[in-house]
Amino acid sequence: MCNNHEHSKLTSNNRDLQEIEKQIDRRHFLKKTSLGLGAMALGSLLGSENLMANLGDKNVQEAVLNNYNKNRLGLPHHLPKAKRIIYLFQSGGPSQMDLFDYKPKLVDMFGKELPESVIGGQRLTGMSGSQSTLPVAPSSFNFKQYGESRAWVSDAMPYLSEVVDDLCFVKGMQTDQINHTPAISFMQTGHQLPGRPSIGSWLSYGLGSDNENLPTFITLISKNGKGQPLTASLWGNGFLPTEHQGVQFRSGKDPVLYLSDPENYDGNDRRHMLDYLGHLNEIQNDAYGDPEIQARMAQYEMAFKMQTSVPEVADLSDEPEHIFDLYGKDSRDPGTYAANCLMARKLLEKGVKFIQLYHQGWDQHIGCPGGVKNQSKNTDQANAALIKDLKQRGMLDDTLVIWGGEFGRTVYSQGQLTEDNYGRDHHPKAFTMWMAGAGVKPGFTYGETDDFSYNVVKDPVHVHDFHATLLHLFGVDHERLTFKHQGRRYRLTDVHGNVVKDLLT
Amino acid sequence: MNEVSDIVLFFGRFHPLLVHLPIGFLFFAFLLEVISKWKKNPSLTTAIPLALLLGALSALGSCILGYMLSLSGDYDESAVDIHFWFGIATTVVAFVAWLIRIEKLNIPNTNTVKANISTLTLIVVLLSVTGHYGGNLTHGSDYLVKYLPFGKEPKKELPAISKIEDAGVYDYLVDPILQNKCTSCHNPSKKKGGLSFVDSTAILAGGKNGDALIPGNSSKSEMIKRVLLDPHHDDFMPPEGKTPLTEEEVAILMYWIDNANADFSSQIKGIETPENITKIASNFLEIPIEGEKGTTKLPTVNPINEETLIAIKKEGFQIRELVFESNIYEVVLPPKTITAKNSNELDKKLALLTGIKENILWFYAENNSINDSHLKLISEFVNLQKLNINSNPITDNGIAAFENHAFLNSVNLYGTKVTKKSLVSFTKMKNLQNVYAWKTAIKNDDITSTFKGNENAPKISLGL
Repeated sequence: MCNNHEHSKLTSNNRDLQEIEKQIDRRHFLKKTSLGLGAMALGSLLGSENLMANLGDKNVQEAVLNNYNKNRLGLPHHLPKAKRIIYLFQSGGPSQMDLFDYKPKLVDMFGKELPESVIGGQRLTGMSGSQSTLPVAPSSFNFKQYGESRAWVSDAMPYLSEVVDDLCFVKGMQTDQINHTPAISFMQTGHQLPGRPSIGSWLSYGLGSDNENLPTFITLISKNGKGQPLTASLWGNGFLPTEHQGVQFRSGKDPVLYLSDPENYDGNDRRHMLDYLGHLNEIQNDAYGDPEIQARMAQYEMAFKMQTSVPEVADLSDEPEHIFDLYGKDSRDPGTYAANCLMARKLLEKGVKFIQLYHQGWDQHIGCPGGVKNQSKNTDQANAALIKDLKQRGMLDDTLVIWGGEFGRTVYSQGQLTEDNYGRDHHPKAFTMWMAGAGVKPGFTYGETDDFSYNVVKDPVHVHDFHATLLHLFGVDHERLTFKHQGRRYRLTDVHGNVVKDLLT
Repeated sequence: MNEVSDIVLFFGRFHPLLVHLPIGFLFFAFLLEVISKWKKNPSLTTAIPLALLLGALSALGSCILGYMLSLSGDYDESAVDIHFWFGIATTVVAFVAWLIRIEKLNIPNTNTVKANISTLTLIVVLLSVTGHYGGNLTHGSDYLVKYLPFGKEPKKELPAISKIEDAGVYDYLVDPILQNKCTSCHNPSKKKGGLSFVDSTAILAGGKNGDALIPGNSSKSEMIKRVLLDPHHDDFMPPEGKTPLTEEEVAILMYWIDNANADFSSQIKGIETPENITKIASNFLEIPIEGEKGTTKLPTVNPINEETLIAIKKEGFQIRELVFESNIYEVVLPPKTITAKNSNELDKKLALLTGIKENILWFYAENNSINDSHLKLISEFVNLQKLNINSNPITDNGIAAFENHAFLNSVNLYGTKVTKKSLVSFTKMKNLQNVYAWKTAIKNDDITSTFKGNENAPKISLGL
């Protein structure tokens, strides 16, 4: 074995690389000396008793440094309400007026031209913008009021109607984007172009992990999803350190591949192997100081821990029958939305901070009634089950649940409008989301749209406001969680966003 | 008052800048005089005439600019008068001192040395007096001695109240906001815009642009209009560089003008008060809303030292500070840290926490063989608000230890052995809001029969 090797420094025998190494040395010298002086100054500022007196004890020293590093962001800024979050992303843009935003007056308007005054000069997409007519299409679903909160829900979501008193509907959501890719990116990262850190990465960076054996930020996608593709930039870390990116679990029986040992290998010396690999990486890190090396080291360690932690979480066999019944029959089929919801609950229980679920297919340009019905059928029972299950375990107290897509849909029909069929195009100016749990008012509806569900007439909530509110629930002031990149400090909300205090308990 | 042209005010505002020149020059002349005498170094005195001349000229300039500034009418006239005459006196004496120094002016029966020293001393006195009055004009008359460590007059204290409803809207809510954000510029000695906010008479008197407020109509009231403008607008208040009013503060001011008709003696209970105002008032006054649970204020506790934190982590606890530098912590004992195999270790682990019992706000220890005797220890966590101890062998006796706990707000007891007897204990915890009791012996009927419409009863979730 290689234990006797003593590497003080790994150097290349290639002359060009040696040149680079020299340069890095100079830079490192400057960096390390200036930081070293800074640390000494800091030590005297903080009072030497704290930082210096115990320097002999290596453990204490390490703990002090760790603590200093962890606290350098000064978080949380205020007392959090939420410990964990599950974001049920409905990709494609669910039709708000076919699910929650009840517009009874539309029935009389069937087939009539949507007034220009309502559109207000808004630019439509290329898909319906060239239509000769924009006929109003009332919802073909029946609406009823449910619960003590008397919330309106259409008959597409019978299960959800049972839990409306735990939900907080936000009916005045607004986004800036009208097409899927920029709109999803905007919703998940606060910017229309890919490359900014996602919400989960910001939270992981700001608040750290509650379970060292599982990633802080996990993404689950329903299998066999159709429609607009989802890309890894949506749960990417952007310019934040790489270990804060979301870890995507596969939808299926094995959420993470190759966790089990290959044939004829017992895995007993893996720890030893990783330690040595870590040692080599550390040498490399000393020489080059590339943060990606540290991220890689952290990820090897995480992968090692996940060999035991993931099979335990992915194994749903210890769940009782009645829990499967609660989530619906799909929950026995790994990779479906229902099965993902159930696994997400287990992950939340284990202390995973951010779970990002995606369910595709909410893009009803044609055949909206049938499409919404179908999509609801695949998700409704699991949504309601998740709320109920979290609540009975006392977890809704500190878990935030969010449901919503990237935008809403138009009141006018895209394509031909018939008695029982219509299509709906993308609509960014008004859509509905709901939240539940930690610190959010239960049984509450916020915001109002006009009679066409086209414009928000009361209490609009912009995507930036939503992000600010979400961070607020985690004890983070959205204006103070920043990261300096390419010469300026970035935030999830960039230069926008107001916390919507009316949504909070 | 006649409109003063902008250019006059523009130059006038350079007064606070220019005044520092005569102060420096004249004081320097005085120091040169003193040091030359003391060190017996006559060569220093050659610079004195120049210093005096520059001081006198810059003083003259300051006087002129000061007069221009006073035309704005932003300042209290009597206070300006004193500053005005002392400023002129300083300038005159400075010229006299200069003339004496260059021996163009001879005062009979005195020698020049004495005349020099005395005029310079007089200048220093005059400078100090003028400067002091000038400072009062800019910063307010109590600026200098506000933080004087002794001889302070005890501040007029409002009588302590225990209910939000008893608070006078103006005295307890509005006045503190005005004092905090407005009166540094709107006070009797520095009346910006001719407006002062120090008391009811001053507020009702209004300012140069008319009334500051219209009772019952906040949207037409100048003081509300100004704070709601775009922050980049010229008329936005408070002006750039000062802390703007928060949303809550504006809400209080509007509530006072609209609902209390800007009355100076109304109490909250006498007028229509929306829920959000009660909430803001509760935060301002740090008085909990009656009947409402969930405290908003964080306890003040001592910090935990580094060694203790390390020791706690070593025992398998996760510990996280809930607010940066608040010394308030969440402590988690991960599930199944304690099993049948090491159940004897739990006492030792929990004993370690008693050292930081005031610092724990949230405590999680699900599925860790916690029993009633352990709960006795945990019930001593005086500031505890959230307790997750589901899936543990806990009975009603353990819960009884938490009766009269002041802050406990949420308890997760699912999968424990508690029965309806605990329901009575719950009613004795005055801040308790939520209990999760799925998979326990508690039934829906027990809840209705025990609570019988008791308003202090928490919400019990039984699950499915």
